[in-house]
Amino acid sequence: MKHVPYFLLANSAALFPYCVYRVFLMTPIEREMGTAQKIFYFHVPLAWICMLFAMVCGIAAAVQLRRRSERAEALAVAAGEMTVLAGLGVLITGPIWGDATWGTPWTGDARQVSTALLWMIFVAYLLVRRFGPANSERLAAALAIFGAIDVPIIYYAVKIWKTTHPSNTVVGSLPQTMWNSLWWCLGALLLLAISLVWIRARQERIAIGLDEAWIEADERDPNPAAAVPARA
Amino acid sequence: MGLLRQTWLLTRNDLRQEARRFELVLTAGFFTLVVVVLFALAFFGLDEEVQPKAVPGMIWLCIAFVGALTLTRVFDRERENSTLAALLAAPVDRLAIYLSKLAFTVVVLLACAVLLVPGLGFLFPAAKMFAADPLATMALVTLGCVGYAAIGTLFAAGLATSSGKNVLLSVILYPLTTPILLFALVATQRLIEGHGELWSTIGQMAALDVALIAMGCWLFEAVLVGVSAKPGGASESPNSRAAARAARARGR
Repeated sequence: MKHVPYFLLANSAALFPYCVYRVFLMTPIEREMGTAQKIFYFHVPLAWICMLFAMVCGIAAAVQLRRRSERAEALAVAAGEMTVLAGLGVLITGPIWGDATWGTPWTGDARQVSTALLWMIFVAYLLVRRFGPANSERLAAALAIFGAIDVPIIYYAVKIWKTTHPSNTVVGSLPQTMWNSLWWCLGALLLLAISLVWIRARQERIAIGLDEAWIEADERDPNPAAAVPARA
Repeated sequence: MGLLRQTWLLTRNDLRQEARRFELVLTAGFFTLVVVVLFALAFFGLDEEVQPKAVPGMIWLCIAFVGALTLTRVFDRERENSTLAALLAAPVDRLAIYLSKLAFTVVVLLACAVLLVPGLGFLFPAAKMFAADPLATMALVTLGCVGYAAIGTLFAAGLATSSGKNVLLSVILYPLTTPILLFALVATQRLIEGHGELWSTIGQMAALDVALIAMGCWLFEAVLVGVSAKPGGASESPNSRAAARAARARGR
């Protein structure tokens, strides 16, 4: 099990050049949007990955709260970081695509605004994890759960806030070759995301274990002269 | 003792403390006034056409600002007097603590809204619609405040034990409260425009409020107990992972 994430990472690295080759040389150019549409093969998988790991983070946080599981906590942190990373990718590629096809980088469409808000919630999650007060792990977990549940509500709220959003039926009417390229790209990016989350979760678990050991050592021997640097 | 009665007793306790000095109502109320004046200065030149679009934003931005201020203070008070541990040890349902803090925050926010809404109506002619339909105005302001406070109380409780970490509350609060604020914004806009679907939007707001309060009730115990009910007052205890990590970073 120890080498699985590195194996996935290597697969992803091998797959990625093929994806780029496929997207640019084997897939036909879209009639209306032209070459700018190529960004779609990276934008859409990133958006799906962002949503997926937001859900993973929320569920892991719920398990963390319910069972006081450190494994779930580490997974929640890693998934939260992946959400922020993938979300950043979506928020960068989206406006580039929008600028090329709609003529404006930001239309205020429900999907855009809700992605931006989702991203902000998970940045807040990471900030609380990092800079929160003592024992804020549970607070951060509640934030992640709230964030995951909030997503559909935000989507709906933004939709009624802006009733005139551009109808987005692009994904439904693609020719099969474009779909196939999309699946390849999704595969490569998903492998990358899973392996990174896996490695990061393992690292976070070790860090948590180290913190616990530190606390234990501190409790056993609170003598300031001890090798362990004492209280914060 | 039923949940409702416990909630009422705790709320009355908070209200009585407030009635002694009116600290929160006076400071938050004055802050509202300052914000209204700032809005008046910033948006003085808006013409009649643009005003209906700007006024809802002003109302809910102001509520969001005042709300963050109020929520910080509501739990600060417990922290300063170290009464949070006593409150948690008291034989009351934890839900009653959440609901009472929620009720108290809503009371303060509504007190501010009483200044805010007529104030804007006085400054901006487009806001005159609020006086024309007082029932809808009251309903939507109350529902908006309740939803905002439902989320805010939960996370303010979580940060209650941390002095000087209040920036984090705003960081959490504003992204999470967007749905309810957006609904409130839409409802306010519909009220000003005399839109036919005003009451259905208000109904949706009520449903969202119920969902938010339910989520707050579900998560409140986990958040609050995790933060402050550990033996020995975990707020000052170094035996937390955050402190251990910080110490490790320093020792490196």
